[in-house]
Amino acid sequence: MTILMRRLLALVLVCAATMAPAQESADIQSILQENRALIEASSRRTIGPAIDALRESGLDRAPEVMRRWQERELYLREADGVFVFGEETDDGLRVIDIATGEVIGEGPDDGYEEMRPNAGIRGLIQAAMVQFRLQDENAAQRARALDAVARSPEPEHLDLLRTVILDEPDPALRARMERLERLLTVQFGQSDAERVAAIEGFRGDIAREVRAALTPVLATRRTVAPEDAPAEGNVARELEPGTDALPEAEAYQMLVSAGLAPERIDREARRAALVANIEDGEVGGIPVAELDDQEMRDRAYATLAQAGAVPPTTLEEDRADLMGGYAFRDIHIEPSAEVTDAAAATMESIELTLRLHQWLDLGLDALSLASIYFLAAIGLAITFGVMGVINMAHGEFIMLGAFTGWLVQLVVPNYTISIVVALPLAFVVAFAAGVALERLVIRHLYHRPLETLLATFGISIAIQQIVKNVFGSQAKPLTAPDWLAGSWVVNDIVSISFIRIAIFGLALVFLGLLLFILNRTRLGLEVRAVTQNPRMAASMGINPDRINMLTFGLGSGIAGIAGVAIGLFAQVTSELGQNYIVQSFMTVVVGGVGNIWGTLAGATLIGLLQKGIESANPSNTLAAQTYMILFVILFIQFRPRGIVALRGRAAEA
Amino acid sequence: MAQGFRERSFFARNPHVLIFLACLGVFTLAATLMSEAMGTGALSTSFTKILGQTLCLCLVAIAMDLVWGFCGILSLGHFAFFGLGGYMIGMWLMYERTRLIVEPSLAGAALPPTPQEISDAIAGQIFGVVGTSELPLVWSFAGSLPIQLALVVLVPGLLALVFGWLAFRSRVTGVYLSILTQAMTLALALYLFQNESGLRGNNGLSGLQNIPHAGGVSQAWISLWFLWGSALALALGYLLAAWIVSGKFGSVIRGIRDDETRVRFLGYPVEVYKLFVFTLTAVIAGIAGALYYPQAGIINPAELAPIASIYLAVWVAIGGRGRIWGAVLGAAAVSLVSNWFTGGGAPDIRLPGYTISWVNWWQVLLGLGFVLITIFAPKGLAGLVDLITQRRVPDRHGADAGPDQSALREAEEGR
Repeated sequence: MTILMRRLLALVLVCAATMAPAQESADIQSILQENRALIEASSRRTIGPAIDALRESGLDRAPEVMRRWQERELYLREADGVFVFGEETDDGLRVIDIATGEVIGEGPDDGYEEMRPNAGIRGLIQAAMVQFRLQDENAAQRARALDAVARSPEPEHLDLLRTVILDEPDPALRARMERLERLLTVQFGQSDAERVAAIEGFRGDIAREVRAALTPVLATRRTVAPEDAPAEGNVARELEPGTDALPEAEAYQMLVSAGLAPERIDREARRAALVANIEDGEVGGIPVAELDDQEMRDRAYATLAQAGAVPPTTLEEDRADLMGGYAFRDIHIEPSAEVTDAAAATMESIELTLRLHQWLDLGLDALSLASIYFLAAIGLAITFGVMGVINMAHGEFIMLGAFTGWLVQLVVPNYTISIVVALPLAFVVAFAAGVALERLVIRHLYHRPLETLLATFGISIAIQQIVKNVFGSQAKPLTAPDWLAGSWVVNDIVSISFIRIAIFGLALVFLGLLLFILNRTRLGLEVRAVTQNPRMAASMGINPDRINMLTFGLGSGIAGIAGVAIGLFAQVTSELGQNYIVQSFMTVVVGGVGNIWGTLAGATLIGLLQKGIESANPSNTLAAQTYMILFVILFIQFRPRGIVALRGRAAEA
Repeated sequence: MAQGFRERSFFARNPHVLIFLACLGVFTLAATLMSEAMGTGALSTSFTKILGQTLCLCLVAIAMDLVWGFCGILSLGHFAFFGLGGYMIGMWLMYERTRLIVEPSLAGAALPPTPQEISDAIAGQIFGVVGTSELPLVWSFAGSLPIQLALVVLVPGLLALVFGWLAFRSRVTGVYLSILTQAMTLALALYLFQNESGLRGNNGLSGLQNIPHAGGVSQAWISLWFLWGSALALALGYLLAAWIVSGKFGSVIRGIRDDETRVRFLGYPVEVYKLFVFTLTAVIAGIAGALYYPQAGIINPAELAPIASIYLAVWVAIGGRGRIWGAVLGAAAVSLVSNWFTGGGAPDIRLPGYTISWVNWWQVLLGLGFVLITIFAPKGLAGLVDLITQRRVPDRHGADAGPDQSALREAEEGR
């Protein structure tokens, strides 16, 4: 009840503030009649007063009339010139009284003239209706009206907002209104002091709408004026020709367009002029055959210019002299220096915060890339780092994992369950492949590391080609479950997709798991023993063959799980593994061989580097990778054993 | 004894050189007589080109054998040097051919063209596909054949020198060096993939088979010229490699391969030796590439991908590393057999329910065959020859000849 009272009161206040009091008692029909000529003319240029009259009438029926008008349901009864609403039916028109809303007749539409507001007028009506919608009883309706205002703010909206804020009952909406009011004040505030206050209130606010509101305040136009003349208007900055902000050619062009300098005649134009002035096989006294270098052409043109046949060229120095006599300035369109200074200062603080957030976002990106590299490389860290075996087929184990995930999805349609099934299954598949590889090939080559590299490369191309032959070469879809689909949005700048968070989590789990296995279990103890001294380990009753087999299987199995994770965002093809193999090796080498922590450090470094270089040159990922590899090559120069280098006896092994 | 050793000539000590040169001569003569240019047509022009290309691959395999088989550096970057050589000569071929097309068309204009206009027009033709029309800086010398020929040698050589100096200085060895060279190759390929590199990005250089100033000569004859050129280069490369490994220098680099630390302690500057071999082989690879790509007709960055360099190592390993003729044998055998399989020459095998088409399954065969050779025949195809000459090898009663069992010194000298 009180809400209703307050709303009525507000309505009265709005009216009182903006309208002519004489219309207070008029009814809706008479207002329309007063503006009948304008409404019937239906022209965007002249319709203003009619809409204003309706809006300012404060009558209950005004919103309804405006809505119907906009929706082309306002008709003029030709018989007596009364406005009515009309709804088209199958057999004509249902006529409704505009004051009461009662149906007053139904029948053929002869004798009724439809008011046809064009798109421009409908826009004006819509803007006018904002007032009513901001006071709607439905909160959702009010929120939508606020959105509309935020999208296309108009000067009138400011006063409107200030009035309706007072009786907005919903605190959230009210907060939004207040924020919007400040945003509008920035642009349309009455006094400079008020605008400056509003602008300064937005310091460090990185929301897009704030920047959108500040940008027009800071808009400039470029002017050129004689240097000794005093500067006019609110000068944003003086420009020097020949700088990045104002290249010389552009500055000279400004002089030309202002009529202050002769048109520059470029090489093409001079050439055309020469061609046009060929007489008897020569131009300006020089035979055409000799015009095959620029100097001769310039000389010919100069001769022509002296004869007055062509306009003279301007010399470089002349142009510079001429430009030196003028001042080039950016002038703010906004006249008040106070406002623009405040806006510039606020913008600067926003830029700073923005940059900080962008760095944060970049950091998150780099972290997620690092966790992908870590997942891809950690299996290698075991086989290469701990066992010293170069496994070029490691990438193919990743690919097998991804294909396992895809095959599971073919059988299990539920994406969540299929991922849960696929992860251990991928481990099993890759584990089996790894054990088979170790037993059949690598076992014979433990003393010949370079040949292991080549033999596993042979395995790699064979597996790749077999998978391509069996499954075809087009990319397979490995779809993430819906709950992984979205992203976690912190603000306009910082966001990260859930898949990346999940991969980060997976990487952490594996880091912990491997550290546990290697440092806390019997298997880990035996692995470390065999790594350090296989003969001694054997004499202690450890079976080195079995341990080698299990270690290799473990490293391969983890590659399989990494494959499922990578397959969720990459293209699952038979070449999937190839894209990761070189990076994985670099990760292990940079990090330091034989150490899980080293791999972590290597992956972090490479992820950070790649994202960092990418952000410095966002157009080009290829260049980023190139520079990253070059960096790695140089890095190896200074730390040949990687970031975390083993010392002492373990380093000899 | 020492007296007698010195008196024996180079060829007497290395009979394989003469045998190889004779085989190469016979092969070249036979290919020439059977070629289309001679009118017999037993070998098509395209197959003549394949034979010429194979000879170039044999040359780069010799380089790979020198650096890996003799010096123990498993470089996964020598095909990148090969590609660089191809790019260098390709730049001249493309520039000159475009110039010959562009100049007459500009000559028809009202004014005779200035050098700037000619260069702009050529650049517009060449770089239209990557959306620029300015001649990049790296093309500054593209108009001059002598300079580009020098660059064929200099660019791979300098890159190898700088990279090798960095790598050997910090004592990166073994598999680490392999991974590092692979990273270098990948970086180079990725760099060339960019349009900004000024070498037409992933379009590469094309139309290289059209040799400028040879408009009247048919492709049949051009293919023959290149076959002869490649054969000559291969012969010279073989001689050079054989000469290098036969002397004291050869003993030192083999020593480095077998036990680097020991050689260093004997007072040899190991890094200098390695750097010399690495750079020299890069230059040989560059020359081989410069002969290969005009026959192939097109070069693009994919050719430089790390996998190509690994294949190079595979050829040498299959042929038998540590023996120069082994490398040649491997490269020739694998690339020709591969051509036969992928070209659809091998008959499909029809199994009930599935047809094995060798175009698709050849790689599987190659990969698995390669694994088998690595495990069971570390000496590669050259080991087959040993079966015949086995009797002349001193019997060590099963004892190792050196730390690396797969590279017996007496075996590789063919004694």
